[in-house]
Amino acid sequence: MQKREYILFLLLLAAVVSILVCTVIGPAGIPFLGLAEDESASIILFSVRLPRVIAAMLVGFGLAAAGVVMQGLFRNSMADPYLLGTSSGGALGAAVAIVFLGGAFHWVLAFVGCFAATFLVYGISRRGGRIPVEQLLLTGIAVSMFLSAILSFLMYTAGKSLHQIFLWLMGGFWNISWNDVWIGLFIVPASLALLLFSRELNIFSLGEEDALHLGVDIEFLKKGLLLASSFITGIAVAIAGSIGFIGLITPHLMRLVVGPDHRILIPASMMAGGILLVLSDTLARTAGNEVPVGVVTAFFGAPFFIFLLKRRYME
Amino acid sequence: MIDLRDVDLDYGAHTVLKDVSFQSGRGEFLGIIGPNGSGKTTLLKAISRIVTPSNGTILLDQRELADFAPLELSREIAVVPQASDPGFDFSVRDVVRMGRYPHIGRFGSERDEDRDICCKVMEITGINALTDRSVRAISGGELQRVIIARALAQEPNLLLLDEPTAHLDLGQQMVILQTMKNLSREIAVIGVFHDLNYAAHYCDRLILLHDHRILAMGDPAGVLTEDSIRTAFGIDVIIRSNPFTGRPSISPVYKPEGRNRTCGKVHVICGGGEGSDLLQALHAEGCEVTAGILAVNDSDYRAAKALGIPCIVEPPFSPVTDRSLGELTLALEDARAVILTRGLWGAGNIGNLRVLESANIRKVIILDRQAGEQDEWDYTGGEAEAILERLAAGGAIRVKDIRSAAAAARNTIGGEPCTD
Repeated sequence: MQKREYILFLLLLAAVVSILVCTVIGPAGIPFLGLAEDESASIILFSVRLPRVIAAMLVGFGLAAAGVVMQGLFRNSMADPYLLGTSSGGALGAAVAIVFLGGAFHWVLAFVGCFAATFLVYGISRRGGRIPVEQLLLTGIAVSMFLSAILSFLMYTAGKSLHQIFLWLMGGFWNISWNDVWIGLFIVPASLALLLFSRELNIFSLGEEDALHLGVDIEFLKKGLLLASSFITGIAVAIAGSIGFIGLITPHLMRLVVGPDHRILIPASMMAGGILLVLSDTLARTAGNEVPVGVVTAFFGAPFFIFLLKRRYME
Repeated sequence: MIDLRDVDLDYGAHTVLKDVSFQSGRGEFLGIIGPNGSGKTTLLKAISRIVTPSNGTILLDQRELADFAPLELSREIAVVPQASDPGFDFSVRDVVRMGRYPHIGRFGSERDEDRDICCKVMEITGINALTDRSVRAISGGELQRVIIARALAQEPNLLLLDEPTAHLDLGQQMVILQTMKNLSREIAVIGVFHDLNYAAHYCDRLILLHDHRILAMGDPAGVLTEDSIRTAFGIDVIIRSNPFTGRPSISPVYKPEGRNRTCGKVHVICGGGEGSDLLQALHAEGCEVTAGILAVNDSDYRAAKALGIPCIVEPPFSPVTDRSLGELTLALEDARAVILTRGLWGAGNIGNLRVLESANIRKVIILDRQAGEQDEWDYTGGEAEAILERLAAGGAIRVKDIRSAAAAARNTIGGEPCTD
């Protein structure tokens, strides 16, 4: 127990440090000492970089927390927050806004798309008041493919908005303002709500029937977790598009460090997810000419994921 | 405590069980047996509320099962499933502590009492040494004991076991079942069994399922009969009463293999249970066997009947009559070999030996007593012993054990495969 709290404290410290350090790092050198006098430096620091770093931290929190929950719910460490059609729903929503509304309200539509896709999947999988998990998984894949098909059609006919859709799909934080941060703050209470279910999630990871025998109200649990995690994912996607691998790798990594107990795994993954995304985004905006952060997370995430897979296979 | 009334269970359009009614309570170990697909597990799932009956009611402590809140039910009923998949790397201690969830709930925290109970149940199931190991790094048998410990940590009043010892070795099976038996003094235990001998030995009462219904219910000796097992499982068995426990003990009858089938009859003169194993051995060798004269209360008669061996019979405790002696003469004339088992000879059955001596049989095989077996066996004032001596002098083969007796019989009648 002591060791776990120690790790959590270290992660929190690392998160704070990474926010501070990454705010200072950037293509435009900021003279620390002369900050008060230099107005443009102050604007870059407080209106451009700080909100961007904080938003990345919050999105990282959310994706990692939703990733832990999805993996627990599907009893599979290969699950990620986008499993239930969330990312394709969000992408379609954003694309619709870009094509038909000239980009206005694109984050609102992205959020609505995420949420609607999850509930579509949920509604289709529902059988007599129960949601069999494997049904949920397969429906998620089918709905994702369907929404992706519509998205492809939109992109095909989009003409000059294609570039904008494409940028959005890769995910990134280049256009972040403090307003995005205020929206992103909703991720914190929603992620903490997931923490309330952590004991049940522990039991659930031994199997649905076992959880039932131990008195877990599994249908309530599934509904609660799906609602909260799709809300979180929806906000994350609305702010930054569907950034891959953070929600997949972080829970995996943290399970190696703190073990499978969700009471500690959820907060630890949140911190780690935030730190990883802030570092990735810093790399994305300093390396060359603003690479989309999704490219960075995938570039480092995918090989690391293969490494984890191999390792698991060796066991 | 648990009370099923006219319960029907369906799986989609397919009926699994119909009209199931029974009760069980504290202090009883109830076993559910039956062939594969007879609905044993489904019945267990109905009691644990995973499956809802399409008809009928299930009451727990006079309350409808459906009325229990999930947590409340998990304080009453714990389940040990056939197999578990641990999923993530939880430690043995963590998994056992999950068994306390019904008492702690979502927001409560573990108290000393909870930890004490977990220690106790880990001791009962013998997994103390595994406490810090990952449940993914232990053997199937160990995992099963962890799951049993978790179920016990729930402190249930009713424990449901679905073939709890399927993954355990023989020694562990007995330890775990004895533990369950001890527990059943305080709580109710209902278990599904594949092994009929374990069911017979450990359970107070059995339910035999067959053809979507309860075929038999009651104490093991009443439920496990040659007839009921033939009906339910389609096999022949011989049932004896275990002399120490008084419980039935079931041995299957192994069918003769086709290539060993022979023509030619062997008659066995037996009695007092001395012939059962020999009859089985001869049956397995593919010999055509007859037996007698046997009293109907003799366990050899029951064995012969289970094997479908024709017998010459007499009422219990009666001397052999001229009618059955006549039948014996005919049977002996028909036989190509006769085997005489160890047995006690007295005024009631000495007729067998007299007929045998006068019948001029080509081949007599005498199963001799073991060396050092000093007990009195001749209660005819020496006549039986004298007949045996004369038979031996006249060319009868004396053998020491059942295998040699069966082999001698085969040699005599020829081992050629049956041609018809």
